[in-house]
Amino acid sequence: MLQIKDLSKSFDQNEVLKHISLTIPAHQVVAVIGPSGSGKSTFLRCLNGLETISGGSVTVNNHLLQATDSKKVRQKTIHAIRQDTGMVFQQFNLYPHKTVIENVMEALVVVKKQSKEQAKKMASALLKRVGLQEKEDAYPSRLSGGQQQRVAIARALAMEPKIMLFDEPTSALDPELVGEVLQVMKELAEEGMTMVIVTHEMKFARDVADRILFMADGQIVEDAEPKVFFTHPSTERAQKFLEKVNEF
Amino acid sequence: MDIVIDNLPFLLKGAYYTLLITVVSMFFGLIIGLITAIARIKGNRFFRGIAKIYVSIIRGTPPLVQIVIVYYGLVDYGVELDALTAAYIALSINIGAYVSEAFRGAIQSVPSGQTEAALATGMTEAQAMRRIVIPQAIRYAIPPLGNTFVGMLKETSLVSVIAVTELMRSAQLLVAQYYVYMPFYLAIGLMYWIMSTVFTFILNKIEKRLSVY
Ligand SMILES: Nc1ncnc2c1ncn2[C@@H]1O[C@H](COP(=O)(O)OP(=O)(O)O)[C@@H](O)[C@H]1O
Ligand SMILES: [Mg+2]
Repeated sequence: MLQIKDLSKSFDQNEVLKHISLTIPAHQVVAVIGPSGSGKSTFLRCLNGLETISGGSVTVNNHLLQATDSKKVRQKTIHAIRQDTGMVFQQFNLYPHKTVIENVMEALVVVKKQSKEQAKKMASALLKRVGLQEKEDAYPSRLSGGQQQRVAIARALAMEPKIMLFDEPTSALDPELVGEVLQVMKELAEEGMTMVIVTHEMKFARDVADRILFMADGQIVEDAEPKVFFTHPSTERAQKFLEKVNEF
Repeated sequence: MDIVIDNLPFLLKGAYYTLLITVVSMFFGLIIGLITAIARIKGNRFFRGIAKIYVSIIRGTPPLVQIVIVYYGLVDYGVELDALTAAYIALSINIGAYVSEAFRGAIQSVPSGQTEAALATGMTEAQAMRRIVIPQAIRYAIPPLGNTFVGMLKETSLVSVIAVTELMRSAQLLVAQYYVYMPFYLAIGLMYWIMSTVFTFILNKIEKRLSVY
């Protein structure tokens, strides 16, 4: 489903991702953890072309994106990749000038060229799925952070992605609102969605993920099952990181 | 006082032209300004350069000079415009530069996360711009656009030099006829002020209306 070969990313002279290679099969739920600044967000953003890759390649659902491709080819591939991926951001990034249901409908109408009625029907069903059907006509600013993030998940799901990317979806939330978002994500995982989740929620990573990637300094230094990773991390970096997290 | 009231229809006709010139120039200025702003933000180096030079020239030269260039200057090249058309053209080009700055600032105040979210759902850059960024930018742009608009209202008085009988020139003509200054100039001052105030009021209403979310 997702193949990454020798992926590198630099901002000017600063090499943020260093020769990452990895394969993620369909239906796998992968949690990416690691200290801040280690390149987790950049990694995720390279997967759907929000960052331009500097080296190597990314293959999403058979769309091959190579750093060496011409700009035109890359644009085309990225456009195709984005049809197959959904992304959820730390800051939600809902469209503030549109109502909840319009947020979810937007890409259906603009990208998939569905009729308004069609889009509305689908958006309604998705909002129901994330437990927000009664908020359809509210503006995002009237919603709690947890509700906003659930709308953002519904918005991403509307495009029927094959892969969902989450960049710290609960980090901007008050603690009491984290659970409702994780619950939605957990259901999504149980339904078999392929997911790559950058998160600091260790319990969630342990319970829901099939696989943990531990990033440090732009590299994946551990790649293991949660049970193994959380009980016997093999590198010192990971041990230190886990000790620190456990203090809280 | 009586002398003003006697000539009120004439002054009102001048005010009508002032309004007309303001609204028409603002309308085309908005279009020019939006295109220029997008060229400056999203354009390739060539279009960015052109847009930048345009804004720089307009902002760096007196509007009066711009007006006489369009009206008198172009005659040298066989382009003879009637005065009102020249006024529309000169002022639209003038205001377009200021509008583009207002739009540019407004577009840049829309958080980049908005574009990213739109792109992530599969929209093209152009779709994200049109559907997500610009509608939000318009709201940010209203206060500076309002200032530009009121500024334009006052600037129209400059086209009196090319014999467009707007409010300013109406007063000048009356002065020449009656040999008194103050009543007419006070009267048009008052009329400018009323129009500015009404504009400002309307713009505030629009801004309120747009901030439902
Ligand atoms: N747009 C950017 N321009 C320059 N440097 C960036 C940019 N985005 C991220 N970086 C740098 O890349 C590194 C990794 O950042 P990031 O991927 O956000 O890490 P994480 O998500 O793990 O906290 C950081 O050193 C950060 O300063
Ligand atoms: Mg991050």
